[in-house]
Amino acid sequence: MQQLATELEIDFQSEKYKDAYSRINAIVIEGEQEAYENYITLGEMLPELKDQLIRLSKMESRHKKGFEACGRNLAVTPDMEFAKEFFAKLHQNFQTAAAEGKIVTCLLIQSLIIECFAIAAYNIYIPVADDFARKITEGVVKDEYSHLNFGEVWLKENFPESKAELEAANRQNLPIVWQMLNLVEKDAHSLAMEKEALVEDFMIQYGEALSNIGFTTRDIMRMSAYGLTAA
Amino acid sequence: MICNQLSIKFISRPPIQRFRQSTRLIYQYMFGLIGHLTSLEHAQEVAKELGYPEYADQGLDFWCSAPPQIVDEISVTSVTGQTIEGRYVESCFLPEMLATRRIKAATRKILNAMAHAQKYGINITALGGFSSIIFENFKLEQFSQVRNIKLEFERFTTGNTHTAYVICQQVEKASKQIGIDLSKATVAICGATGDIGSAVTRWLNIRTDVKELLLIARNQERLTELQNELGRGKIMALDEALSQADIVVWVASMPKGVEIDFKVLKRPCLLIDGGYPKNLATKIRYPGVYVLNGGIVEHSLDIDWKIMKIVNMEVPARQLFACFAESMLLEFEKLYTNFSWGRNQITVDKMEQIGQASIKHGFRPLLVQS
Repeated sequence: MQQLATELEIDFQSEKYKDAYSRINAIVIEGEQEAYENYITLGEMLPELKDQLIRLSKMESRHKKGFEACGRNLAVTPDMEFAKEFFAKLHQNFQTAAAEGKIVTCLLIQSLIIECFAIAAYNIYIPVADDFARKITEGVVKDEYSHLNFGEVWLKENFPESKAELEAANRQNLPIVWQMLNLVEKDAHSLAMEKEALVEDFMIQYGEALSNIGFTTRDIMRMSAYGLTAA
Repeated sequence: MICNQLSIKFISRPPIQRFRQSTRLIYQYMFGLIGHLTSLEHAQEVAKELGYPEYADQGLDFWCSAPPQIVDEISVTSVTGQTIEGRYVESCFLPEMLATRRIKAATRKILNAMAHAQKYGINITALGGFSSIIFENFKLEQFSQVRNIKLEFERFTTGNTHTAYVICQQVEKASKQIGIDLSKATVAICGATGDIGSAVTRWLNIRTDVKELLLIARNQERLTELQNELGRGKIMALDEALSQADIVVWVASMPKGVEIDFKVLKRPCLLIDGGYPKNLATKIRYPGVYVLNGGIVEHSLDIDWKIMKIVNMEVPARQLFACFAESMLLEFEKLYTNFSWGRNQITVDKMEQIGQASIKHGFRPLLVQS
């Protein structure tokens, strides 16, 4: 059941909360930074859409600043080293795909997986966030829906020729997401965010995106749960 | 809380524009059904049968994270000739979630399934099985915002008015079939203070000449309130009631069925089991004891769907849960309203109203097979 921060009586100033927040906040900041860089890379790969992608990248940069402010508001220093390590595999896979000119894989990683994960995490976080962070996150999540939509639209228009690569990229990258989630399960719990709720919201968002692109329910059930229990 | 007794809202909505197979634009009105399977074992079997290995081998933890899915497309034709379309939304809720107190998961399943139905543009959706019980017991009306969806509760119905009506019809008609005279009969209602149970007692009290009502439930305060409302009825423990009843109506919400001692029952005895999963655990037959699946209707025409086979209905193309049929009836009648909503709001008049629609469109209560 959803519960609000006030009902749960979360102590945002406790050492336990702030310690967990130092990693979660860092992940969010790093995630927005990577998104900023990834959209610039995508702009180079899709020159006809460069202006649009630059606009998206600037939004991500603003989000990053917003989340940095959330950390400062709680007097928390984000553990950026942890966050870089956290994103390392996904980051590497994006870089490799970009170097090979694999636009579909890059879009799946950034516009579907990362955006869906961000939307799921932000939606789960909003009811249990401190007042300052809640306002920032509510603004951010609205933008993230538009970023997800960018990937959906492009992949839908290019669905027949992208399908096989999407499935391969899903097999390669989704298990990494589940591993990433396991890494922060305890910290997320300290922020009153439950892993099973995060997984469910991610699968809902990711499933909707796959459906909008053109996958069938059967494909979606197979793809969105891929590697979950093995992680 | 929305009170349905006061008025029925007629909501006029434009037809839904929908792209199907990405190219063909169609306009349609639709009903929805939110359902779930009866146990983890059942869920695993179904997933295996339908060819979803990612779901088939998983334990309860996985199902606690599984998202809702539209898994069946349904077409229903009324005896009037009208055809409507619907969708079945599998919520991935399992009764074990309640039995193991995974309340957050259980409530998430229901809210997410409702958001899924609404996002799909379904006009009226029935909350089947435990869905409506979870909604009511955990007061989910306070959580109307699900991500970027603001739930519009008038798009949902518990379907309990039709279920209660059908169970009452089963009491009246099946009793005749097996030679029980209601004017001399004692009827026990197990789960009497629930939404369906209380409606059944109201109907039997006013619309039949049943001799005696035995009221069985856990909450004594609610039992006394019901007794005061009816102006009759004996409050009784289950064990005591079983030996006195000619008819037992089972409408308690229990994650698993109970074992009862059939030897203590009167002969003949009619047991109408309206639970999902079933309130009665045993499938053993005893002479003179008639067990009837409660709250089940038979349609006059075949329905094109898979889901009733999945829930092991005996005649899957014709038989269905009355609560599901309620959303079909509301769609046939274009009554876009949460016809059944809240707890203990069901009146005899509303049962009569949905009953007339039920007959008009060709549904009839499941009776004892001869």
